Amino acid sequence: MSHNWGMAVDLDRCTGCEACVVACHSENNIPTVGATEAARGRAMHWIRIERYWEGEFPDVKVKFRPVLCQQCDTAPCEPVCPTYASSHSEEGLNSQIYNRCIGTRYCANACGYNVRFFNFFTPSWDKPLHLQLNPDVSVREGGVMEKCTFCIQRINAGKIAAGLAQRPLKDGEIQPACVQSCTANALVFGDLADPDSMVSKLAKSPRGTKLLEELGTKPKITYLQQGSWDDAPNK
Amino acid sequence: MTGMYGLFSTPELAQQAVDGLRASGVPEHEITIQSSEPLEEYRFGSRDRDTVMPWISVLGAAIGMATGYFLTSVTQQAWPISTGGMPIVTNWTNLIIIFELTMLGAVFASVITLMFAARLPRPLPKFYDREISNGKILIGVANPRDIERVERALRASSGEVRMMGTEL
Amino acid sequence: MTRRTNNSLTDDLLRPVLETSTKFYVSTGLLALIVATGFGTWFYQIYYGLGVTGDNWPVFWGFHETNFVFWIGISHAGTLISAILRIVNATWRRPVTRCAEVITAFALMIGALFPLIHLGRPWLAWWLIPYPSERFLWPNYRSPLVWDFFAINTYLISSLLFLALPAIPDFALIRDRTTGWRNWFYGKLSLGWQGTPKQWHRLESAMHMMALAIIPIAISVHTIVSFDFSMAVVPMWHSTIFGPYFVVGAIFSGIAALNIVMAIVRKTLHLEKYLQPIHFHNLGKLMLAMSLLWGYFVFNERLVTWYGNTPHEMAALWSTQMGRYSPLFWTMIFFNFVLPFPLLAIRKVRSITATVIASCAVVVGMWLERFLIIVPSLSYKGTPYSWGAYLPRWPEIVIFSSSFAAMALLYLLFSKFIPIISIWEMKVGEHPHIKVAAEVQEAEAAGELV
Repeated sequence: MSHNWGMAVDLDRCTGCEACVVACHSENNIPTVGATEAARGRAMHWIRIERYWEGEFPDVKVKFRPVLCQQCDTAPCEPVCPTYASSHSEEGLNSQIYNRCIGTRYCANACGYNVRFFNFFTPSWDKPLHLQLNPDVSVREGGVMEKCTFCIQRINAGKIAAGLAQRPLKDGEIQPACVQSCTANALVFGDLADPDSMVSKLAKSPRGTKLLEELGTKPKITYLQQGSWDDAPNK
Repeated sequence: MTGMYGLFSTPELAQQAVDGLRASGVPEHEITIQSSEPLEEYRFGSRDRDTVMPWISVLGAAIGMATGYFLTSVTQQAWPISTGGMPIVTNWTNLIIIFELTMLGAVFASVITLMFAARLPRPLPKFYDREISNGKILIGVANPRDIERVERALRASSGEVRMMGTEL
Repeated sequence: MTRRTNNSLTDDLLRPVLETSTKFYVSTGLLALIVATGFGTWFYQIYYGLGVTGDNWPVFWGFHETNFVFWIGISHAGTLISAILRIVNATWRRPVTRCAEVITAFALMIGALFPLIHLGRPWLAWWLIPYPSERFLWPNYRSPLVWDFFAINTYLISSLLFLALPAIPDFALIRDRTTGWRNWFYGKLSLGWQGTPKQWHRLESAMHMMALAIIPIAISVHTIVSFDFSMAVVPMWHSTIFGPYFVVGAIFSGIAALNIVMAIVRKTLHLEKYLQPIHFHNLGKLMLAMSLLWGYFVFNERLVTWYGNTPHEMAALWSTQMGRYSPLFWTMIFFNFVLPFPLLAIRKVRSITATVIASCAVVVGMWLERFLIIVPSLSYKGTPYSWGAYLPRWPEIVIFSSSFAAMALLYLLFSKFIPIISIWEMKVGEHPHIKVAAEVQEAEAAGELV
């Protein structure tokens, strides 16, 4: 049976703690670019917490939203890649194939969510920090695009484990790093093709909306919020 | 001697010379004409039939079109990769590639046909005189049967008469 | 009217090829130095990574892509003048055609370098070539960048052939006028051209077919370049107007470049007799028409965006009208529209100098236009938290400057080896045309016409 991976983000639960951002960096060997480069706008946070605030202290109202690759069904980043480095997998993921990328950055321009990142330099980890690298994930060289993969290495590991044990995958068995590290359980990951999975039920919730739905990208992440984003700050 | 030619300084004199040569019995296809510019307003410069060149360009365009069609649709199906929810064979976008290859085919066909039709590249034949590049028009006959009549016809139009191989 | 002898025409036009001055060597040396600096900077960028530029998240495209679109745009000069005027038999085109075709060829070559310059891994650019690879993977024909590859290469090949074919008789001319290495060199290049009526007829037939083919190619090229932007759902990019907008802008900037180049060639090679004020007048009028047309497209684009008031697009629009990029926008309007108008519209004012001043302004204005299409839209795309800004750094500026030096250098070298004005076409222009009717009548009367 073919999977269709999706996610639900509960904005009413998210505290903006950014544990997911840190977890994603560790899991996926994302380089920290340093202060100078971050000031130039080259930080690479595959998942980021967007913060919007209004008012002056102490009457500040804050809203925040975790934004990551929406794994769009009609992804605008896919047809524009000249070398098929960005394509759609059979399980509904937008695959970024590092070896195939020649770095035109067209996919990043086409992405309406700005969730694609470019390796402006080849990253390096001074010893002994190289020991922190996750052996299940490749390290990208300079000139290559990258973005959230829904931790495909964990998806593959989960499928292999279930296959070896000759049993079907259980809902919630596979958790990307961000989902696993969320302290408020605001992130839910699962198989949208399975009607009984938590994520399928949340996708149909009346609290659910899609980000920038009007662009026609058919994103697979459902954001849950009581009321509307425009009205009130996160409670 | 393998040929005789005259150099004429105006197209009018050249036309006279051609008429004179024809009058003295030299068949049309044995008269050689060379000039440093196309002189198609004059009868002697436009004695050619219409060529079939334009149709060969169209043939080249057709080949380009077919190439474009097969290159795109066959390769897209060879390894079907889904992108952006678009169909595997995207005809709208393939049209662009097909168009470019059609035009390229027309261009290549025109150039190749020119090379063949104008018999280029080739070594410069002996029947040539560098004076042509000074604006003179060369009218000549290779292996003339009646040398005297040819010479008279050329001189009658004030041509500078030379034998082949004696260019100054 | 005194008829120029063919010899003096040939002498004047061959002089730049046969005689070399010290100024030539000095200019070539200086320009070569600047171009070498450009290449050096490129290699520095390849070695250290694109991080040395000003590109960032989310403005991933900046100077390099601006230059790409700019130079491809400049290349549309040759086609318009050469091909269209050739087909409509406009005789004033004769001294101008080769100047224009050369701009096209070199602007294309320089423009085609920039996609390589902007790549993150340029050593893999050959993956865009469609060939059966051991990876079984072909290029993605759905990508506008692959369309670029096909379109630009088709246009480049066609332009080079369009330039090379009518040069063959001129090579034969130089062959006949020279001795030594020049005689051998041009002998080889002229491919044994004799100048028989059959050859002339075939050549003109081929030129006619190519002119017919190259006009749609040129239009398609800049339309496809515009597709690089309009295919993406980015504020102010995703507009159906981009195709014609870019083509008009390209022709506009191309004519401007042609005017500047012609003025320089006229002065430095002493060709005042051949590149006459009438040529600048006519090109000036064409440029005025293009300026108005360009203004029409800009107005269209902005009015529709402003009127629609979609939140998705308004931030990008306001940044160019009143915000961060507005000084550049209003400068562009001044240089492309306000300044050229009086210089070109008023006949008394429209001299060679005025046309050249207007053309310089247009070249600057059109470069700014390309920049303003790319950067503000990327700066204000997506959710406001992810908006950004862009400033170029020294590698981009150096490469940008050296692209102009490269154009000048290539042009200089060309004019040294090949006559910059097509000699045989100038001679054809001297022919009286009435002869045909009289002669044909005579022949018909005498029953000679076959």
